[in-house]
Parts: sequence; structure tokens; C-alpha cells
Amino acid sequence: MQEEENLAPHIEDIKRALNEKLSEDQIEEELRTYTERYGVPLGSAKRSIVKKYDGDPQELYISTEKKIGDIEGEEQGLDLKCRVVSIDDKEIEVDDEPKRIWYGILGDDTGTIPYTLWEAKSVELQKGDTIKLESAYVNMWNDKPQVNIGSKASIKKIDKDEVPQFERQPQKLDLKDIREDMRNLEVKARVMSIEEKTVNTDDGEKTLYSGVMADETGKAQFSAWHDFGLEEDEVVRVKGGYVRSWRGIPQYSFDENANVTKLDHDELPEASELKETSVYTITDLAKRGGAVDAIVEAVMIDIKSGSGLIFRCPECNRVIQKGACRVHGKVDGKADLRVKGILDDGTGALTVVINTDLTEDILGYDMDKAMEIAKDEMNQDVIRDEIEEKLIAQPLKVRGNVTSDDYGLMLIADEVESKTIDVEKEAREMLDEVRV
Amino acid sequence: MSMINREVAWRVFASEFNESTLELEGEEERAPSYLVTPLGAKLNRVYAVGVLTEKENIGDPEEPMWRARVTDQTGTFFVSAGQYQPEVTSTLTNMEPPLFVAVVGKANTYEPDEDTFLTSIRAETIKEVTEEQRDNWIVEAARSLKKRLEVAIEASKMDEISVEELVELGFDEKLAEGFKLASGHYESIDFNRYERMLEDSLRYVLPEYETKSIQDMQEDSEEERDEDLEDFILEVIGDIEESENLENGVDYERVKEKVMEEKDISQDEFEEAVNDLRTDGKLYEPVLGNLKRID
Repeated sequence: MQEEENLAPHIEDIKRALNEKLSEDQIEEELRTYTERYGVPLGSAKRSIVKKYDGDPQELYISTEKKIGDIEGEEQGLDLKCRVVSIDDKEIEVDDEPKRIWYGILGDDTGTIPYTLWEAKSVELQKGDTIKLESAYVNMWNDKPQVNIGSKASIKKIDKDEVPQFERQPQKLDLKDIREDMRNLEVKARVMSIEEKTVNTDDGEKTLYSGVMADETGKAQFSAWHDFGLEEDEVVRVKGGYVRSWRGIPQYSFDENANVTKLDHDELPEASELKETSVYTITDLAKRGGAVDAIVEAVMIDIKSGSGLIFRCPECNRVIQKGACRVHGKVDGKADLRVKGILDDGTGALTVVINTDLTEDILGYDMDKAMEIAKDEMNQDVIRDEIEEKLIAQPLKVRGNVTSDDYGLMLIADEVESKTIDVEKEAREMLDEVRV
Repeated sequence: MSMINREVAWRVFASEFNESTLELEGEEERAPSYLVTPLGAKLNRVYAVGVLTEKENIGDPEEPMWRARVTDQTGTFFVSAGQYQPEVTSTLTNMEPPLFVAVVGKANTYEPDEDTFLTSIRAETIKEVTEEQRDNWIVEAARSLKKRLEVAIEASKMDEISVEELVELGFDEKLAEGFKLASGHYESIDFNRYERMLEDSLRYVLPEYETKSIQDMQEDSEEERDEDLEDFILEVIGDIEESENLENGVDYERVKEKVMEEKDISQDEFEEAVNDLRTDGKLYEPVLGNLKRID
């Protein structure tokens, strides 16, 4: 609340707005009732008192510092400590003259509001600046209040700490459960890898710290748009991040507004252990919209055409049919080995793509040998037949990135292994549960 | 998300599959149709593993159309493959039963007349598998059955089945929805039978269970029926002994009458079952013409 000596100018202000209808003592008593007894912010209290005695609140001139959440309608003399959430500029015409104005969003710990800066001030505003506005005014635009910074107004940069962060408790979440477009999250995870990159954004070059983080439930790629001094193998708590999809995989992103705390090393299991945690059902992957370094345990139920020994166009790398590329016509194709199949775990199905090296491992011989076999048989399909023989109906454990798009989920395999199921153990466990 | 999700391949035992009579046609054009099993598996695609016991070409040698039977420990899947599944037909042409096979395909239904509803699998993939892979499948199918059964039993306790409530209780939403559909269609669902099917299937993969050669598989279902009958006979004798406090067993004719009243069997079958029980040391005759249990 305001200190006593600060109240005097406002009492004076109200007295003038009410054409001295009320004595200073009466005004003070009213003002204290509103602000102290009922906790009404000073600005609202002043307006209410003036209205109550049939005055016009627009006649109030001495501004009151208020919070964005208090702004309800038109007012003059607005003072505001806030943060520049965004800023953009545009050119308009005033009296046939081009004029540059700026607009965007201001925020404080109580909310956000749009603003327009009608003329250049001595300080140049930038996104993220913490400022004190004086003598701005509020008008209504499409039924919503908007702050105007006109010729009477002034802007001062102030210390960042003068405006508290917007406080809405972030939602605590396991990495397994992150979904595209979630906001204001809190995660606790171990940094599995991190690298520094320079990327071009709309605001010019920026340094991005990205990598993979993991908790006991899963992993996620992350992008930190601010240098938090993150290091590999550290356990951190990141509050205030959000989820964006990047190349079909949901990614945890956070910027300078996030709150990053470094925690004890043993807050989470060791990295080697966390590496093995991200086993997802295919239904979960579909809900999540992809995942980084996921493990899927499923049965291969189909091997698609275009698997086995294939030939690619040397120009565009497309798979060619009968020696002809769809784009480049007759070409001398280069041989490749790969598998495109369907993995199904009983909860859902996805397409899996297995690269040359892994396909060689599955076959137990390399590409040269595959070429030889195909030549002997005069048929390249024999390689695919062999892959079917080895993989169909086989429970597999496949690790890799899972992307999602309109055609469904795709797992790009980094590791493929046969999964041995302890049938006896699982059957006994289930029997025990049934008998209860 | 407007993602095209491939239809999942349900692991379902032949018996549950074949008892299904609820078909849901896709509402929009090209929308998939579904077969809903008594326990609420809403299936479009099936993944089945069993013994290929018979195959028959109902096409011609040039363009074969195969009808095949694939038997698991609960019953038989009827499998078909025609000109639109060239790979499956050529694989089937080269298969000689009996063999362990895995089949992936679409659930198909056929109603030759009003009272008959037949289900089959139109195969997309068929492949010979190992016994180990077959056992893996049994475990997966059992787990799938167990989940449906749990939902079904919980749901049947409700006055009116509420999917939301079931989800709240931690059950899978799709299974809850499926069972709600099923319960509106199937008159009475014998949970005990499915529980038995689940337990028998799980025991089937245990080492102490006598491993059967695949030639014996065809007789399996018959044997199972025999075991059921034998258990029932023992039950009848036990009940009468207890309620009438008999010490010297129960009159043979009384047992026969009671059993034949309840079970649809011939006199020969009854006699055979009693003989088996004697040979196995489960019954004896304390006085001539009386049957008593050996407990």
C-alpha cells in the first residue's frame, strides 16, 4: 500500500476532479476505506470514489502505479512498471506523412496487455526490457483495453527485479508425457548431451544450446535459447518451458524467462541407466507425437516392398524401379540395402526404417554378398524374402527416433535386436494374478 | 491430430474370434469396418499364430484361392487368401501342413443364412514360425485377453456401463468403449469360460504341461471337452455324497442320469469318461454299481 505522504497528491487530485465537493478529510477517509480495508488498488479506488460522488474519472490527472491486471477501461495518467514481452514496428500515415509506430505486448506478474508506442522516445525499446511508463493512457480497442504511449508519456528502463515474474505454477510433468504445444511446464531431468549452435532467427543470429535430456520415464530433445551454463550429466529442474515440435518430434524449449535450478547429481539415476528407460507403447507414441531415442518392443508383422536389395538414382537418391528413376529416367542405379516394415505391439502400429548397416547385421552378410546372391538367383527379391524370413513374427526391441506426420508414425532405427521373451516367467506371473 | 493410424493387429484367441457376431460397418466411405468380440476387442486386423492343419485350393492351379485352417489351443481360425494377396497365395501353395504359422490379416465375416455368422481372416501375411514364436504369441494374446476380461468384469458390476468411470478406475478407454458396445449386443457373456481359457492358455506354455506334437493339436479341443466332462462327473458324485452323507459312493445310474441331463453327451461318452477316471485313479467302486471319488 501507499505510504501516507504519497496519498496527499491523490487526495488533491480527487478533490479537483470532484470540483471540491468533498473535503480532504472525507476523501482521505474514503480512500483509506477502499485501499486499506478492502484492499482495492489505489487507481481503482480513486476512480470509484470520483464515480461515487458523480464525478468523471477522466478528470483524474495524477497517475497511480498499478498492475496490468488492474486495468479495466479507459484511463488517463497511467503509470506502469512492466516488461516488454514483444515489440514490432509499422508505418502508418498521419496527415499524408509516413509515421513509424511501435506496438506489441507488455506484461507483469498479473497479466499482459497490448500497447502502441506512438513516437520514438529517448530510450529504444527492446523485447525483454523492464521499464517504467509514466503518463500513458488506456483506450478500448475491440472491447479490450490497450495501453497508449503518447507524446505526454515517458519511458525509463528500470532494474529487472522491479517487476516480478508472471507467477502461474508450472505443471510438473514426466518427459514421457510431454505433448506438442504444452506451455509453462516443469521438468526434472538429466542432461544426456548438449551442444552449442548458432542459428538464424527472425531476430538475427542466436546461440542455441540443444541436446537430449532424460528422466526415469523418457527422453526429450531440448532447446535452451539462453546460456544457463548447462553441462552434460547435470541434473536440472527447468520451470517455465514449453513444447514445440521440431521435425516431427516434440521438443522441450525454454528461454531466459525460464527458471533453471541445478540439482544434486543423485536426484536421478545415472545416465547409463536412464538411457534404457524410454520404452514406449505405440499408442503412447501416437499420443505424444513422436519421441527422441525411444525404445519400441513389438512384433514385425509386415515387410514393405522396397525392402532388401534396392537401387537408388545417383542423382536424387530416390529408389528406382526397373532401372528408371521417376525424375531422371534411365540411370545407372547404385545398390543399397534397407528394410521398411510394420511394427505392431498390440496397442498400435508404426512404420520402421532400418538402414544399410543394420540390415547387413540382420542378414549376416554385407551388400557385396547380397549383390552376389541376387545375381546368382537372377532376382533381387531373394534378399527381401530372407529379411521376411528373419523378421516377420519376431518380437523385436528397436531403438531410434520416432517422428510423426500426417501419414502416421515412423521409427528410424538406430539399433535392432531380437527380444527374448521369458515365456515361462510371464505366464506364471499372469497365472498368479488371475488366481487371486 | 489428423493422423492416419494403421489399424492395430489384435492378438486374439480363435475361440473369442469365432464367437464374435457384432459387426460395425464403417460410416464414411473407406472407413474401416470392425468386428467386436464378446469381450469388446474392436478389431479390424488380427495377428494369429497356430498350427496350419489343413489347406484347400478352391481356385484353380494357375490362380489358386486358398482356404486354410489355423488352430490354436482354443479353436480354429479360418484363413483365406486370393488373387489380391499374391504373396500369401504363393506362400500357402508351398506350405505343407502341419506347420506352425503366423497370420496377419483383416477380420472377415460371412452370413450364409440368418442363423449362421462365420468369421475368417483374409490374410495379408503368412509365415512359418518356430514353436518359440508361437509361445510368445500365446503370452501376448493371453495378456490381451486378460486386460479385456478385467475391464469386462468391472464393467458388468455397473448398473449402466460408464466408459468415463472405467477410465477413471484406470482401464484403457478403447477397451472400455469396446466392452460397452459388446455388452449391448451379446446376450450373456460367460466370464468363467474366458477365465478358464486364459488360465489354460497360460498353462499351455509351461514346461510341466505335456508338450503335444503338432499332429495332436487337432485332437486338442476334443480332449479339452473330455476333461471338462470328467471334472463334471466328479463334481456330481461329490455333491450327492455330501448332501446325502453317503459313505459307499453313489449309484452309477443316478450319476449317469444327472450327467446326461446336464451335458449333451451319449451313453458311450459317459461310460468312456468314467473308465478314464477309474484308470486315472480318481474313481473306484466301493460296492458293486456305486461310484466313489478318490480324493
